[in-house]
Amino acid sequence: MYKWLKPYVLLLPAMMVILGIFIFGLAMGLIQSFGYFPVVGLNKITLKYYREVLTDKTFLSSLGFSFYISLISSIMSVVIGVLLAYSIVQSESKKGIEKVIYKLPIIVPHAVAALLVYNILSQSGILARILYSFGIIGDQSEFPSLIFDKKGIGVILAYIWKAIPFTTMVVYTILSNVNDKLLEVALNLGADRRQVFWYVLLPLIMPSIFSCFIIIFAFSFGAFEVPYLLGPTSPKALPVKAYIEYNNPDLTHRPYSMVINMSLTFISVILVWLYHKSFKLISRYDG
Amino acid sequence: MKRMKRRELIFKVITYTLIFLLLFPLVVLVVWSFTKNWPWPNIIPREFGLRGIKYVFGPSSKSLKILLFSLWLSSVVTIVTLLISIPAAKALGVYDFKGRRIFKMLVLAPVIVPSVAVSMGIHVTFIRLGLANTFLGVVLVHLIPCIPYGIRILTNVFEIIGESMEMQARVLGANPVKAFLYITLPLISPGLVSAGSLIFIVSFSQYFLTFLIGGGKIITFPMLMFPYIQSGDRMMASMYSVVFIVSSLIFLVIMEKTVKTYYKAENYFYI
Amino acid sequence: MVKKLFLMLLILVLALNFAACGQGDVANVKEEDILSKDWEEILEVARGTEVNFYGWGGSQRVNNWVDTYLAGRLKEEYDITLNRVGMDIDSILNILLNEKQMNVEEGTIDIVWINGENFFTAKTNDLLFGPFTHKLPNFNKYVDKDCVEVNYDFGFPVDGYEAPYGKAQFVLVYDKTRLDKIPRNYKELLEIAKNNPGKFTYPAPPDFTGSAFVRNIIYDIVGYEQFLDMEPKKETVEKAIRPAIEYLKELKPYLWKEGKTYPATIAQLDNMFADNEVLMTMSYNPNHAVNKKKTGEFPETASTFVFDKGTIGNTHFLAIPYNAPNKAGALTVINFILSVEAQASKYDPQNWGDLPVLDNDKLNDEEREMFEKIDIGEGALPQNVLLEHRLPEMPANLIPIIEEIWMENIPVEGE
Repeated sequence: MYKWLKPYVLLLPAMMVILGIFIFGLAMGLIQSFGYFPVVGLNKITLKYYREVLTDKTFLSSLGFSFYISLISSIMSVVIGVLLAYSIVQSESKKGIEKVIYKLPIIVPHAVAALLVYNILSQSGILARILYSFGIIGDQSEFPSLIFDKKGIGVILAYIWKAIPFTTMVVYTILSNVNDKLLEVALNLGADRRQVFWYVLLPLIMPSIFSCFIIIFAFSFGAFEVPYLLGPTSPKALPVKAYIEYNNPDLTHRPYSMVINMSLTFISVILVWLYHKSFKLISRYDG
Repeated sequence: MKRMKRRELIFKVITYTLIFLLLFPLVVLVVWSFTKNWPWPNIIPREFGLRGIKYVFGPSSKSLKILLFSLWLSSVVTIVTLLISIPAAKALGVYDFKGRRIFKMLVLAPVIVPSVAVSMGIHVTFIRLGLANTFLGVVLVHLIPCIPYGIRILTNVFEIIGESMEMQARVLGANPVKAFLYITLPLISPGLVSAGSLIFIVSFSQYFLTFLIGGGKIITFPMLMFPYIQSGDRMMASMYSVVFIVSSLIFLVIMEKTVKTYYKAENYFYI
Repeated sequence: MVKKLFLMLLILVLALNFAACGQGDVANVKEEDILSKDWEEILEVARGTEVNFYGWGGSQRVNNWVDTYLAGRLKEEYDITLNRVGMDIDSILNILLNEKQMNVEEGTIDIVWINGENFFTAKTNDLLFGPFTHKLPNFNKYVDKDCVEVNYDFGFPVDGYEAPYGKAQFVLVYDKTRLDKIPRNYKELLEIAKNNPGKFTYPAPPDFTGSAFVRNIIYDIVGYEQFLDMEPKKETVEKAIRPAIEYLKELKPYLWKEGKTYPATIAQLDNMFADNEVLMTMSYNPNHAVNKKKTGEFPETASTFVFDKGTIGNTHFLAIPYNAPNKAGALTVINFILSVEAQASKYDPQNWGDLPVLDNDKLNDEEREMFEKIDIGEGALPQNVLLEHRLPEMPANLIPIIEEIWMENIPVEGE
């Protein structure tokens, strides 16, 4: 039989959606980035927009800011998320409500997460009020700037608030389904719990960690809502720049937005690819 | 034994601290949904009000009808995405074949590429195919952001369970359909729950693509909610969010319970 | 691998390119039909139909007015079912633009709430149906057709492609208990900012309101006349607004967070004002403070003021997309909105509080009284004060240039 064909057949429906719908959309974005957008009167294919955007001095600082936010957010989310999953498994009381409620932030849309972070961490937010009522700060302005700040703290917190439970959920699914006997064997053979974690459990959950990291990174690198609502006026994260250009009522500005989007995509693909490569070197899994 | 206790205590403390930090913002959200005003430096609001709940549950906003419709739409999306994702995840998780790594990357594409970049091309395609402004069109377009979550999570599950169990069943004489239904499906069911939950959430919170492809003919719950988030009406935004979160939660719990009762036991050992 | 991916993409692009080339323009034939009918016939066609009304949906009070009063009255009078769809104008324009590309002759949107740059974009890209205003009896009867604010939208000729819906004017909002003296001009604003460092800010353009604030400062410093026919060139604009940019730089260190960063949206500034983080907020809706007091978000002592030299006013409009499925219904609804009854109901702050667009001189005594008996509410400015302090909006095509100049000069400088 055509055994080698089997995986391709299994992949076919998913690829029909991704290639059939998604790639077509991407292609249209790509040609617009080259200045081809006939409906608003742009008919010439040109590299002008790429030249302008890529040589703009704010481009690099925006790119750096986006990269920084995504990297910190994804590392912190994954580390804390795994810690939480492991802790829940370790401290499990059989009918624990904690197995359900930690998932709640996953349900919250990003824009709402941004609103919440604003309500809690702004200089008039809940945290500042609590500190004020205890006399720790004497005025709003003494509370550190965590929102709209150049360190992007508000943005990062909003992302990790949503991404920690995401990681936990994915990892917990696997951790809680590992056969206890396997762990007992390891313990009987003289391994301590730390060793069990590092040499037995971690390799098992590694592919999931890898997937979570990459999803969180790619998402926060390309999404505009959170940095738009909580990020500094300058530098703006790249997706925010793209979004603002996209909404420019002057439609002949659309190619600028698409150039930024395409650059984002390109950089993201490169980063994901590099990540794959380096991951392969340190692990037997190739994600 | 004493050591064990201390260990457990440490993990309990970590668990509950983290859960508290994760839930605290939601408490604020619930308080805000009944808050009229809350000026500095009050720790609790100065005045409470029912404007939000009255409007959301009042007849003029049509919120409940739209909420039910949204739940229905996202359920359809979840089922379709899972049906597409299971075979794809099996291929990526179990088999070794040429181009596997490219496919794995390709699956992530919808997360990597900002949706504004692809939205116009998708909309134009959908208009051409007559799918714009239809239920089917919105379901199809929701598949795009959902598929990466479905495939990646299930792939990880398939990587762990491998093909050996199913193969054994086949060797013992089960036909492929039976082997899948009675061996593979129960094995991946915990993964199905987490993948299904995420797919549902991603679909349920879509608004940009729904706006464009639904064209205002297909109205989902986030489309009522987002204008208030954007305009900064915190009471309305919070009230809508609370309804949004609670209804998704109920839905997810029901889904999880259904899958679990169907497959009886909770644990399927992966090793 | 990346190479392969790109190769695939490129092939797709080429395929797409060829596909896109084959499309020509298809004229819309049906348009003339409806406009050639007389009004009674249009009403007859519209009776019993559904009209889809698309526009911004972020205000519960506006939504409520449309969903209850407007929808209710239209049902009674014309048996029309009004579907309000809350959608931001960017999405609406994108839908229309994409439909235009594909020559979709029957879309989903019947009426769009629109103005300014978005109207400019929609009209220059042939996304609108019209001219239609001459068909509306109430427009002919009550609206001053020679008025600049009816004929021009952000400096761009309306040409009958949109009908006025309501009027807005830029106002500043403060809390009487926290600020005893209000700034009458840009100089006094600087004084107040200096005396209350960190307690004033504005949303970063291109936020709609933040951008309007910057234009108001420009008007206050260099006057408005020169901009009305200014060519949209960056050098020209830069030169004209230089004193204002210098002023904003001078103001910057006294702003919230020393002007290093700004709220991204007016919504955030409103919330900062409600939370007592800043002393002032601003709005392009003169009844904003009253509305926010009604919902309980602002304190009862919040009040409104304008600069002595005036503030920018604009008109918001209703337009019909080129491919509206129910043009007769749309015309009927827009005509009803231009009635004395609807405009008065809309003006009442109990409902919405939006300034009417009807010409006072064209109303009879009875009709005029309907407006005069409305209590505009504590903390709002009366219509005559607003009208005396009303300055025309800048041409739409200068606005993105000013926003760009602001972005290049203000948030980045002096880091």
